[in-house]
Amino acid sequence: MIDSIRQFFASRKLRDNATAYAFVLPALAIYIFFVVYPFFYTIYLSLTKWDGAKPVKQFVGLLNYQELAADYRLWSALSHNLIWIVLGTLAPVAIGLFLGVLLWRGVRGMVFFRTVYFLPVVLAPVAVGIIWKWMYNPRFGPINVTLEALGLDFLAKGWMGDPYVALPALIFAGVWGYFGFCFVIIMAGLQNIDMEQIDAALVDGANGPQRLWYIIIPGLRHVLTMITAFTLILGVNVFDIVWITTRGGPGRATHVIGTFTYVQAFRESYVGYGSALAIVMGTVSLVLSFIFISIRERGGD
Amino acid sequence: MASDVGASYQVARRPRRPAGFWIARGAQYGILILFALYVLVPFMWVIFTALKSNFEIAQDPLGLPPTWRFENIVTAWNVGKFGRYFVNSVIVTVPIVILVVSLSCLAGYGLARLRMPGRMLIFYFFLIGLMVPFTAIMIPLFYILRDIGVLGTYWAMILPQTAISLPFGIFFMRAFFSGLPYDLTDAAKIDGCNDFGVFRRVMLPLAGPAVAALVVFNFMGSWNAFLLPLIYLQSDKLRPVMTGMMFFTTRWGVDYSMSMAGTLIVMAPIMAVYLVFQRQFIQGLTAGAVRG
Repeated sequence: MIDSIRQFFASRKLRDNATAYAFVLPALAIYIFFVVYPFFYTIYLSLTKWDGAKPVKQFVGLLNYQELAADYRLWSALSHNLIWIVLGTLAPVAIGLFLGVLLWRGVRGMVFFRTVYFLPVVLAPVAVGIIWKWMYNPRFGPINVTLEALGLDFLAKGWMGDPYVALPALIFAGVWGYFGFCFVIIMAGLQNIDMEQIDAALVDGANGPQRLWYIIIPGLRHVLTMITAFTLILGVNVFDIVWITTRGGPGRATHVIGTFTYVQAFRESYVGYGSALAIVMGTVSLVLSFIFISIRERGGD
Repeated sequence: MASDVGASYQVARRPRRPAGFWIARGAQYGILILFALYVLVPFMWVIFTALKSNFEIAQDPLGLPPTWRFENIVTAWNVGKFGRYFVNSVIVTVPIVILVVSLSCLAGYGLARLRMPGRMLIFYFFLIGLMVPFTAIMIPLFYILRDIGVLGTYWAMILPQTAISLPFGIFFMRAFFSGLPYDLTDAAKIDGCNDFGVFRRVMLPLAGPAVAALVVFNFMGSWNAFLLPLIYLQSDKLRPVMTGMMFFTTRWGVDYSMSMAGTLIVMAPIMAVYLVFQRQFIQGLTAGAVRG
């Protein structure tokens, strides 16, 4: 008996397996303890009322979720995320595609343009937010100063203080910080497009927009799906740029689900409610990623 | 000017271009330059404003500084305690990058090349982590970090940031190692290398470019992280640059010149590194999207 156990442990196969697991185990342990376990812990917390300090977490079932469904603050935050997702995805992808097509066949100064367009991408979202907060400054920010110099005073305003303008203004700043990323990825995708097809289309007399629509965009389908997925998920998770500039204000005009969750859990100590929000946000993000992965797999090359 | 030179050069070699070609060329450059200005104007304005006094900003908010007051930077650096914030950023970022890259290489290699029961299962288990946003775990993580006694130390950022970066790192390195030819490993094994030896002596030296991309990606991720230190590194002693910057702008928000100098301090180093290692940065930051 003992002998067979000893034999088992000495066997080649087990030793190989043990080495293999040793490669994976350290990462797995950290991942389980700091990602998987907290995730289930969030689900549990979302079923309780807790202020973060009391020893007892009061179990309330789905009450937090019921309250959330009736909470206008959730729906307004989600609608801001939706606006962010739509504008914040369309604009940088469109700009990236446009510039990519312009630069595609090589232009003098190509490296210069690429370096410049990518420059804001290396900045932290926090830095992007701070720069644009100053750009929008009502008194001496370049935007208002320029408008006034052009005699367009009526357009000058406190951009970050106007509830109707604050969100689009923030998205505009976000696009500034992000379009270079889309541009570089689209440029990489353009390298794989079959030039013979383009030449053939030229011979057949296809004009620019036709070549774009029938050859370039289908050729980039894969790349475009990818960045759209990427950008979408960023739009769900946006936090930094909002918190550093407006903290969700004026009023609730720029609150997104990320800032709302943070405030609930860490500023106002509604830990259970905040956890329910985190689960809502996680679910949205998970479902979107899942949809996009399955689209990619189906169209996969 | 440049286009004239180009024109005569073209004429010598090819049939003459029609006027429409030059109009299109002009429009093309016009648009490219317009977008370059969209990017550059805010940068230039931050630099100019940072080097003016408050009075000069009020006088002429847009123009060049009448005198370049580089002492503004020094003042902001000292007043804003940026020295400490930068040191803190380095102290948390270096271990995070080392941990993520080494653990990702090990696990990525194991999942790509070594036989073990449940290999795909473990891989998919990691892959799910790619889709879980930080927000979904940030709340209990605070109490977990408190309970294991690391809140109030740098580990409160190092551990969770490493953990949330692992799924991508493993995914990325696994893809890389899967693509390497098998002949190499077989040859090394015949020569008597064990699994770890094969990994260390044969595979790892080949992984240079992938490792470099992962280093850039994770360096940027943890250097620029904001929400994570905002929650877990609340003490001023531990604060890295990003949250330090937030407190600086809140405190000095009405002192324009000071605020802009602070912004410049935060922006400048990363921009300088980018301009030197431009190609590596672009590869590193886009590697995820292109490979993924």
